[in-house]
Amino acid sequence: MSRVRSQKAELVIERLGKKLNRQIVGSLVACVHCGMCTDACHYVLANPDDPSYAPAAKADKLRKLFKRHYDWTGRVIPWWVGAKSIFTDEELEDLKDTVFGKCTNCRRCSINCPMGVDFATYNRMTRGLLVSVGIMPEGVAVVSKDQWEIGNQMGVLTEDYLDTLEWMGEEMQEELDDETAIIPIDKEDADIVYTINPREVKYDPRTISDAGKIFHVAGANWTMPSEGWDMTNFGLFSGDDALGGSVAARVYDKLQEIRGKKLVISECGHGYRSTRCEGPNWAGMDIGFEMESSVITMLNFIKEGKIQVDKTRNTTPVTFHDSCNNARSCGLFEEPRELLKLVVTDFTEMYPNRAENYCCTGGGGAMSMSEYTPQRLKSGIVKANQLKDTGAKIVVTSCHNCVDGLNDVIKHYKLGMEVTQLVNLVANALVIPEKKVVPVVEVAEAVVEEAIAEEAVEAEEIKKELVLTGRKILIVDDEPDIRTFFGAVLEDNGAIILEAGDGDQAIEIANSEKPDLITLDLSMPGKDGGKVFEALRSNPETERLKICIITGRPELRKLIYDQELSKPEGYLDKPVDEDTLVLNVRKILELS
Amino acid sequence: MHEISNQLHFAEHSLQEVALIFMAIVYTLRVVWLVRFKAGKERQPATGLAGTTPRKGILYSWANIAMPWAMESTRKNFFIYVQFAIFHIGVVSAITLSFFIPYAPNLMANPVLITVFQISIGGAFIVGVMRIIRRSTVKVMRHISTPDDYFSLLLLTVWFGFAFFAVPNQPQNGETALVVYFWLTAFFLVYVPFSKISHYLYYPFTRYYFGKSMGYRGVYPMVRKG
Ligand code: SF4
Ligand code: SF4
Repeated sequence: MSRVRSQKAELVIERLGKKLNRQIVGSLVACVHCGMCTDACHYVLANPDDPSYAPAAKADKLRKLFKRHYDWTGRVIPWWVGAKSIFTDEELEDLKDTVFGKCTNCRRCSINCPMGVDFATYNRMTRGLLVSVGIMPEGVAVVSKDQWEIGNQMGVLTEDYLDTLEWMGEEMQEELDDETAIIPIDKEDADIVYTINPREVKYDPRTISDAGKIFHVAGANWTMPSEGWDMTNFGLFSGDDALGGSVAARVYDKLQEIRGKKLVISECGHGYRSTRCEGPNWAGMDIGFEMESSVITMLNFIKEGKIQVDKTRNTTPVTFHDSCNNARSCGLFEEPRELLKLVVTDFTEMYPNRAENYCCTGGGGAMSMSEYTPQRLKSGIVKANQLKDTGAKIVVTSCHNCVDGLNDVIKHYKLGMEVTQLVNLVANALVIPEKKVVPVVEVAEAVVEEAIAEEAVEAEEIKKELVLTGRKILIVDDEPDIRTFFGAVLEDNGAIILEAGDGDQAIEIANSEKPDLITLDLSMPGKDGGKVFEALRSNPETERLKICIITGRPELRKLIYDQELSKPEGYLDKPVDEDTLVLNVRKILELS
Repeated sequence: MHEISNQLHFAEHSLQEVALIFMAIVYTLRVVWLVRFKAGKERQPATGLAGTTPRKGILYSWANIAMPWAMESTRKNFFIYVQFAIFHIGVVSAITLSFFIPYAPNLMANPVLITVFQISIGGAFIVGVMRIIRRSTVKVMRHISTPDDYFSLLLLTVWFGFAFFAVPNQPQNGETALVVYFWLTAFFLVYVPFSKISHYLYYPFTRYYFGKSMGYRGVYPMVRKG
């Protein structure tokens, strides 16, 4: 008796037929089950006793379906060649757990297969098939929706984006002491149109001002677009080519609208791959302008003498992590090293490296799939050992996704390392050209003017330093050291500090004091940060209080983000440095 | 030269010819089937270091199998790579043997050639046994193996065994090894297109496209440093 097949299963099988191309079919038929790719996968290395993590085993989950419906032997003698159909939604869910939860599409197995089977590529295709019938991790659904509807994958509103650019422009002016240092928006005929990852707006605006500083000092004719500025593309992770094409087209169209000459993509592995390498294929567009990674732009600035750098400003030992998308799918691995060696004094290579490097664990959109966090962090042991062996204190990477993935690994395995990007190191090493020398005849006048200017600067600095004056900030953390550190930093900037060492105390103080901002730790004994957040947001008295989550355990984010409550106003990963803390608090409190 | 039985003559000639024709037809159909799928194209300008091109990528990709240092999987599993090499040299030898015996029997009177054939085929037989053990005892290998994987491996190993004894081509000392070897060869030729053994048909395609893409994107030829 023939089994009844669910509608979704029916659709998956039908759509599989439409997605097949020669490369994919080649990969599906060519596997000889030799097992050579097994040890290439970081999931396998972390789970040696679980054969279900082997790339060939994961690949077979789709292969069996292909064989059953599209390959002759599988149709005639299915059991002989391991062909099998899919009938129920539960089986599709199981497939989902494999293609989203057990593989980051890092492509490391692909380059290690003697037969040239590119499993990662058809794993992405399988994701796309499941997404097309609505089967996907919740995070993937949420982020895809944001990117479809709001135009960027973190749901950043245009006004927030523009506000952040304005704010970062002011930071640049202050730092460079130069009123002409601005972030131009939608400037027509610019040589460089700079596109970024929305994470930079939300959690890491420093990277925007650092890039701005570099462009300004290089004297570049540059701009940032008001729309189509998000060069990341969740279509790469979800396997949804339609989303991929639409997001990429937004970026290309905007550049063409303002007649930009070159699209420069900030440091982001999947953004670079999506925009530079896959986007034209998904969008079906032939691109008539140049596209490059900001790594190459910065390197060329130095080579062409447009900026000078002083590497002695970056003396802490560093290592470099290659983003899989940059290195293994776009061949971007020498330029970051060349640039890095120009801006740091102490660089140690990690092993393996370049196209053979291991995934940070955050690839393939894994950071947005909290249900798979435990297995992701377990697989991080491979990266952790790689990092530890370098003896470096800072790991540099050219990818925002990798920054988050690496931070998780570093925290989970207590490596005590920092993660940074090339743009931060270049900005730190940047030699700011001296101002014009004042002519001798005007010395007296100049001295007076200088004194007045210095006073003004001092006054401005005091004003800036005390920018939090009068703001009441409640610091909730069970670690006294953290409370002391945050308290001291914020107090130095004029804030009035309140402290709570546990959840109950936090709720009580929040109710009685109504602070302007609460910094909330997630992992606390007793009432954890999630419960405190829920209590505050559910009480009309405190529901509007601004909250910034500051946690050392990002896997606990789901305590907050899985709740159907309005989201916190800010989020930071520990460790947090002084500048980041103040910058983010100012941003949340809307203080320029 | 010793007269051979009709049974052996049939196995060496007519049977092989029919099997070869069958294999050629099925292979042609298979290749037609594969190329009827459209090949994906890359519209974007190339990435990666200057000097990496699709052409170089393709050549590197095809040559990969002869460069055990090129892939981490073959570097780390060098012993398995050696087994792979011995096994495939054995396959080439045993196939060549099936042409030499019926069509150039004089060559098989050369003791050096006999030794070369026996070493390569005997080595492949030993590797076949090792591969059977690996496939049936290593957890992950068991997990990914299908009946076809076991059967194909067993078939080839048994074929090597009979080929080894058929090499001296001495029907006067008994025809059993020769008859079984030629029947197995015929079966092998007919079975191959339906089994995983047909991977060598796909190999040029998969490595061509993977190499082309990786060359275009500046990943192939691979750079290893540090
Ligand atoms: S290395 Fe290639 S052929 Fe071997 S099991 Fe892995 S995917 Fe299959
Ligand atoms: S693509 Fe990466 S994560 Fe996925 S199976 Fe291959 S090696 Fe493992």
